[in-house]
Amino acid sequence: MSKYAMVIDQSRCIGCMACIVACKAENDVPPEMFRTRVMDITKGKFPKLRTEYRSELCNHCDDAQCVTACPTGASHNRDDGTVQIDRKKCVGCKACLAACPYDARYINHEHGYADKCTFCTHRVEKGLEPACVATCVGRSRIFGDLSDKNSEVSRLLAENEHRVLLKEAGTKPQVYYINRYPNHK
Amino acid sequence: MEVIITGANAITSPYLHIWDWRVAIYLFLGGLAAGCMVMSAIANLRPGKSVAPDDPCCWRVVILSPIILNIGMFFLFLDLEAKHNMLSFYTTLQPLSPMSWGSWILLLIFPAMIAYAFSVIPAENREVLRFKGLIKFAEQMGRHLRLLAKINFAFGIILGIYTGVLLSSFAARPLWNSSILPILFLNSALSTGAATMILMAHKNEVKLFFTKVDIWLIACEIVVIGLLFYGQYTSSAAARESIMPFFTMSHEYFPYFVSIIALSVIFPLAIVLKFSEMAGEHSETLSLRQKLEMNVSAILVLLGGAIIRFALVYAGQLSKFTGLS
Amino acid sequence: MAVNRRNFLKCAAFTVGGTALAGSPFVKATSLLAGKDIQHVPSFCEICFWKCGLIARVEDGKVVKLEGNPQNPQSRGKLCARGQGGIGLLYDKDRLKTPLIRTGERGDGKYKKVSWEEAYSYIAEKMNTIKEKYGPESMALFAHGTGGGYMANFIEAYGSPNECHPSYAQCKGAREVGFSLTFGSGPASSSERADMSKSKVIALFGTHLGENMHNSHVQDFTEGLGKGAKLIVIDPRFSTAASKASMWLPIKPGTDLALILAWTNIIISENLYDKEYIEKYAQGFDELKESVKGYSAAWAAEQTDLPEADILEAARELGRYKPNVVLHPGRHVSWYGDDTQRSRGIAILNALLGSWGREGGLYLAPKVKLAKLKKAHHHPEPEEDSITRGDYPFAYGGITTEVRDVTISGDPYPVKGWILIGTNLIKTLPSVPKTIEAIKKLDLLVSIDIMPTDTVMMSDVILPAATYLERHDELMVVKQKSAGVSIRQPVVKPMYDTKPPWLIAKELCNKMGLGKYVEYNTLEEKLRKLAALWEVDYKKLSEKGYIPLANTGHPYITKDNPPVFKTDSGKIELYSLALEDEDFDPVPKFTPPVEPPEGMFRLLYGRSPVHTFARTINNPRLWELKKTNEVWLNADMARQLGVGNGEKIALINQDGVKSEAGLAKVTERIRKDCVYMIHGFGATSKRLSRAYKNGIDDQQMITKYTVDPISGTSGMRVNFVKIVKEV
Repeated sequence: MSKYAMVIDQSRCIGCMACIVACKAENDVPPEMFRTRVMDITKGKFPKLRTEYRSELCNHCDDAQCVTACPTGASHNRDDGTVQIDRKKCVGCKACLAACPYDARYINHEHGYADKCTFCTHRVEKGLEPACVATCVGRSRIFGDLSDKNSEVSRLLAENEHRVLLKEAGTKPQVYYINRYPNHK
Repeated sequence: MEVIITGANAITSPYLHIWDWRVAIYLFLGGLAAGCMVMSAIANLRPGKSVAPDDPCCWRVVILSPIILNIGMFFLFLDLEAKHNMLSFYTTLQPLSPMSWGSWILLLIFPAMIAYAFSVIPAENREVLRFKGLIKFAEQMGRHLRLLAKINFAFGIILGIYTGVLLSSFAARPLWNSSILPILFLNSALSTGAATMILMAHKNEVKLFFTKVDIWLIACEIVVIGLLFYGQYTSSAAARESIMPFFTMSHEYFPYFVSIIALSVIFPLAIVLKFSEMAGEHSETLSLRQKLEMNVSAILVLLGGAIIRFALVYAGQLSKFTGLS
Repeated sequence: MAVNRRNFLKCAAFTVGGTALAGSPFVKATSLLAGKDIQHVPSFCEICFWKCGLIARVEDGKVVKLEGNPQNPQSRGKLCARGQGGIGLLYDKDRLKTPLIRTGERGDGKYKKVSWEEAYSYIAEKMNTIKEKYGPESMALFAHGTGGGYMANFIEAYGSPNECHPSYAQCKGAREVGFSLTFGSGPASSSERADMSKSKVIALFGTHLGENMHNSHVQDFTEGLGKGAKLIVIDPRFSTAASKASMWLPIKPGTDLALILAWTNIIISENLYDKEYIEKYAQGFDELKESVKGYSAAWAAEQTDLPEADILEAARELGRYKPNVVLHPGRHVSWYGDDTQRSRGIAILNALLGSWGREGGLYLAPKVKLAKLKKAHHHPEPEEDSITRGDYPFAYGGITTEVRDVTISGDPYPVKGWILIGTNLIKTLPSVPKTIEAIKKLDLLVSIDIMPTDTVMMSDVILPAATYLERHDELMVVKQKSAGVSIRQPVVKPMYDTKPPWLIAKELCNKMGLGKYVEYNTLEEKLRKLAALWEVDYKKLSEKGYIPLANTGHPYITKDNPPVFKTDSGKIELYSLALEDEDFDPVPKFTPPVEPPEGMFRLLYGRSPVHTFARTINNPRLWELKKTNEVWLNADMARQLGVGNGEKIALINQDGVKSEAGLAKVTERIRKDCVYMIHGFGATSKRLSRAYKNGIDDQQMITKYTVDPISGTSGMRVNFVKIVKEV
């Protein structure tokens, strides 16, 4: 069975926001709502500065708090390692929004259901990359199957020191980050 | 540190604001209903009391509690974003979701509350039910008053705890994520229940009984609030950060600061008033001053309970893991 | 299913192939899903000048997504935020929807809706009057974008030699001149030919790639960085690019040439240059060496406010990794009025390091010789000389500011009519008061545009253009390492009462009796002929969107592929005889910039990755990502001024012009002597519902500018502002 995951090479993120627009068009996300965001975090004092570019999205956690909190089973872990929402079951109680330490969810106000990144499962099923990955200008986002040891994501995680966000939240996220700062060999 | 976020959702950034006054009112009224269930059960089960309800509070509060709970539920319903999918609550049981078992528990609590309400209607007042079937049902239930009171006592405790567990189960929100929170909510529920009893009771004996009960409950509540803050302060950085709104005298956190000040005035004041009520001789009828003191302290307790729910519902949404280290 | 990257690529390729079959415009391919009619139509973008290949997904006649065409090298399967946001332009409710004729005063926004015929008649009558009274040269064209060519044909047929482009004098003109004087040609084809994906060292002078979001260029840039290229960023601001740099040099604004000359000296005196290359291809080395020998690292450190050790280290890094290094030529270089010489300095450094024609340097332009369609009718020879070159001997493009100045002065002849296509001059030219003054002198101002921009709303006649997603345009010859042909074709039919610019130009020609100069009935007819002439299968082109041209790519110097330098000497001119002939410095010399007075800051401006100048601010899909701009202010200076982050401020410039109130961004990411903001905000047109009065307009504050004496381009970073707190 597949185990989908994303690896984000932060050193290659140039903060162009193409991922955000691609995601929104692909998934018909309402105006001023987002399934992915880009953080630009600068530390230090002039002229000794460093900036971390970090794109964030649903982490498709193995121990997903949103799934635990969901009273109706609308939010669920799928066999392919992703977390999905069954819109027909969602009552819009927002417990999942409260439960998600990554603030990855929003309410689709037109229909009332909670919504978030699906890892573009409709594209992946057709053999395409998620929309944000396909258009990532810096090739910072890499998507693939961790159950395949030869996949690029498996290789990147094997070869690189990697981390997940808010490890302390204990949710076993499946979006991995490598090269937090620029990488000068 | 300078942070630019592109693509943040207004509902979660810069802070979560998913739940507003509607949920705070729901939690308050839910707690109040729970407190009423427990306290009215105590009123009906206390030693030396006749089988039939001997004070208006022994039955009026019982009838009031499902109404209060219903009003609370109405506010919760208002908060649901996809009301058309309501039935989904009852097509599944999600064992780890407090909201899921909460919705099932409500399904059990309601019949118990209704049965209890019928059981306490004094025989001379059953006429108001009009329908024969209902009157007969009230007669039948009246025979099981003590049993129903016991059941409602248990359900009241469960409901009181549940309103707190609802919030405390979110690891992502450090202020809520404390196992003290359900205890605090239960405690507050019981004390607001006792306050309601004081307000509704006619007999001095009953009023004084619940005044004594409430003194203990308020004293506990002050300790539990202290423990909540102490626990957060001595926990992780995010937990410590989570209580800061209450202790930061800044423009943006002003309501939280005020709420702490209010609580630290309200509860001690309520206790002082209660001691003052109990001081001195009690004649058959209470003096106007004593009545006034009792009612004021009861209202203060209700106000304190509401402040606790509002402050925690809002402040909890400010608390989070920032991930910016 | 096991999905790895390789599988993905296979699938992706298959999908593209699959879509291509069904992808011909208006050929319906019914999807099995949800019974929707889904088409995939290839075209190319015009949200910026990069013109990436795109594939539009059209569902039931509505464009739902734009994706990069994998075959087009400008896009390589990806589109930036702006390119994908093109849908927002197409469906922007604020678009110009019908032709309009002004009924009130210029600028008061009062217009009446008219038919195309009425609009054409109005224009024709006015233009005929101007021709009779003053002569045809009294009409001028300001053009930007693909539509400009059709209008150029119109105005030339009319008899005017006056066409100008902000992309010359307010953007890349000085760079083209500087590089041409050195190498005999400019550094860019479809894109700057910086071979960054293979560079070992990349140096950027103020170029903020990433914020300056040119698709394939940024792909090359990040690819190079990913492979571990060293990056030297010279910028007073800690830009996105600077944040990726191995060395950030926060230079004092206006002193780049001092750094360049010192590097030139260090590279020569420490023998770090490519001797063999210089001997073979360059002339004037000894004169150059002599000329720069005084520029030491210590001197440059003093001029530039950079550490001497960093200046030395950077020069040595460049020398060490030559010739696989590139000093990027930049794009918008109209900064200080010495821009041609600065570009020359950058060109000379590239020459010394042997990077022109080398892997990781500046690759050679592809060799493409494509025939032109024979014209039956040639434009009349203009009776008067063009005013667009001014007195600038090396100007190769139409200088907008010259046309504006002549419009004001009437010397050597009056200019009474302007036609604008895709140009928002109020947000483009330095000195807005001068632009307004010139507009007041006009008898006719015509705007052809998509949005009711500030300048459009000053016009007498407004002609609503169809967007790039609704029209055909000329074939684009993409020139990267090799060449190919890209097609623009309608993805959907034009919305409202809009027309494609080619049709507007053709109908205007017809109206004015110049119909014979447009030798096609539909543009597509011309495209078919052109494709046939170039031996490109038109059907395949319209299905795939891009067809590569074989044997055009020869990017690096080899024995069989020697470089050609089209200078007078046929060599790289380190010492420029051409400049000497015109009494300019044959080797660049440094003049220190005027410094901001006490209490003022130099005003710098730049780009956002999600906006193309002022053009996209109103686009709902891009606006939501960057709604307003902030003034970047050094944290220490902000403390002194008592300005907090996010607080309201306004700017007052040296001429007393006060900006609208905006937000301060208090940051460590900028020097103390300058402030920075994103260009293009602060629209004054009320018809732009999202952009109107949103943010601070940098252009309004650029009342002062210097003119480069060599190229005639504008230096726009010479304005000083003070910051005042607003309530």
